[in-house]
Amino acid sequence: MASEVDAVVSAETPEGILLELRPAGLTARFLAFALDWLIRLAVIYAAAIVGQLLGGFGFAFFIILLFALDWFYPVYFEIGRSGATPGKKIMGLKVVMDNGLPVTPAASITRNLLRVADFLPFLYGFAIVSILMRADSKRLGDLAAATLVVHEPKAVPKIKLEQVEPVIPRQALAPRDQAAVIALAARAPTLTAERLDELAALAAAVSGDAGRSGRVVTHRVLGVAQWLIGRRA
Amino acid sequence: MTPLQFEERYQAEWQELETALDLILERKKFVLGAEPPRGERVAALYRRACEQLALARARSYPLFLLDRLERLTADAHQVIYQRRELGAEALRRFVTFEFPAAVRAHAPYVLVATLLFAVPLLVVGLLVYFRPELVLSVVSADNAAQYEQMYSDAAESVGRVRGASGDWAMFGFYIRNNVGISFQCFAAGLFAGVGSIFFLFYNGASIGAVAGYLTERGLSATFFSFVVTHSAFELTAIVLSGAAGLRLGHALVAPGRRTRRESLVHAAKECAPIVYGLAAMLVVAAAIEAFWSSQRWLPHAVKYGVAGVCWIAVLAYFALQGRSAD
Repeated sequence: MASEVDAVVSAETPEGILLELRPAGLTARFLAFALDWLIRLAVIYAAAIVGQLLGGFGFAFFIILLFALDWFYPVYFEIGRSGATPGKKIMGLKVVMDNGLPVTPAASITRNLLRVADFLPFLYGFAIVSILMRADSKRLGDLAAATLVVHEPKAVPKIKLEQVEPVIPRQALAPRDQAAVIALAARAPTLTAERLDELAALAAAVSGDAGRSGRVVTHRVLGVAQWLIGRRA
Repeated sequence: MTPLQFEERYQAEWQELETALDLILERKKFVLGAEPPRGERVAALYRRACEQLALARARSYPLFLLDRLERLTADAHQVIYQRRELGAEALRRFVTFEFPAAVRAHAPYVLVATLLFAVPLLVVGLLVYFRPELVLSVVSADNAAQYEQMYSDAAESVGRVRGASGDWAMFGFYIRNNVGISFQCFAAGLFAGVGSIFFLFYNGASIGAVAGYLTERGLSATFFSFVVTHSAFELTAIVLSGAAGLRLGHALVAPGRRTRRESLVHAAKECAPIVYGLAAMLVVAAAIEAFWSSQRWLPHAVKYGVAGVCWIAVLAYFALQGRSAD
């Protein structure tokens, strides 16, 4: 399904299946980072209040917590079950290895220690340049650790339009063309009626309506899609 | 076979796998009528799903089918090829073998890092000792005065500004400060090693300047008895962080037969144990510095004795530990 416009990274499993990973771009990652930053700020604030009550020992606790949050907050969550910090989880992102496997502790530590390098020359400058320049949106730490930040896949809804009657196609269709007609039917609920008519007119030959367009033709093209996925009258 | 027939035929298998994955990944705590998942069954279902996905792709089946199979196989893949790297056994192996072996494997880098650190330390130290005014070109006048006060006979605990917080607070401070510096020294190696070279050189020069200055002011007894014990861990760890950073830089500059990216990934993987190990060493150093080195009532002879044991132990650990398994 990968095409020239989609930013998709394929990872092959030992079973010979290509897994499709969709790297997350700058905006999603920035928002996830901002959320994590706010969470950390809240924890630091709470710890400062508690630490104050405990005196010298409390100060040690506070400063060690600062240290741990600085360096290991992402590591702790990334090697957990979800593979994502709370911020990434909210944004529907997760960290995986290049081969699609859960991130290993070593890789997670590496990518997070190298944040220092990503942060330079100021405010994550190198990370931003790297994410924008690379198709797989890796920052420097991801490069060294062989990790990817990807979108968690969302479920694609089943083709609905059950009220459309199946229509027998008027010409033999190559698998590629069949797939195109079916994909149009899948997208139908997300398109405006006018756009759907325009697109269906391009495929009108399948229902024997070449050269014509309109509501009726669209209905028949969608009917062909119903027939192609296996519904019979 | 039409997509709907295909779906109908394999539906039951997919549902079984989905239920098993939901339970394993704890997306659901409990599924009515489902048995606890068995490993070999999940693996078998996963392999079947892979075949079916390949078929579905080859036949250009509609997206909802491909998508369901893709998510199914991706989740199962993550579950089946998961690696558990944490645990007591892994820790024991790390301490007794991996860490010292990784350091030995990087001996040339460690040597270069040692020189980059020790040479400026000695040169600047001697320069400042013979011409004390030079200390001002490395540290500010205020800092120099502060150091002098920290190691003077009047200080309540050695190595601290008067009235500073207690042992525990300093412990926390040393951890955050020192481990942070060493991580930076490592990460800066990503820039062709230049960053690590800078950090090694800079730290060497500043430590040398302070040591030279305090010796010249006649505070050498207090100063050296203070630093000698924890420096066994602290200075070694700084050198190791530089060595790991140099390794990263070298991998980028001279990738050999790999691509630059592969070379970097490989180097990062190989020097990762050094980075974990040095972080642990710095925690040990922080504990010694906060609870032992700063104690005024300990006689200098005892401090030097313990320091000797620490230095020999650290050097012997890297030289010998786990060698038989190499």
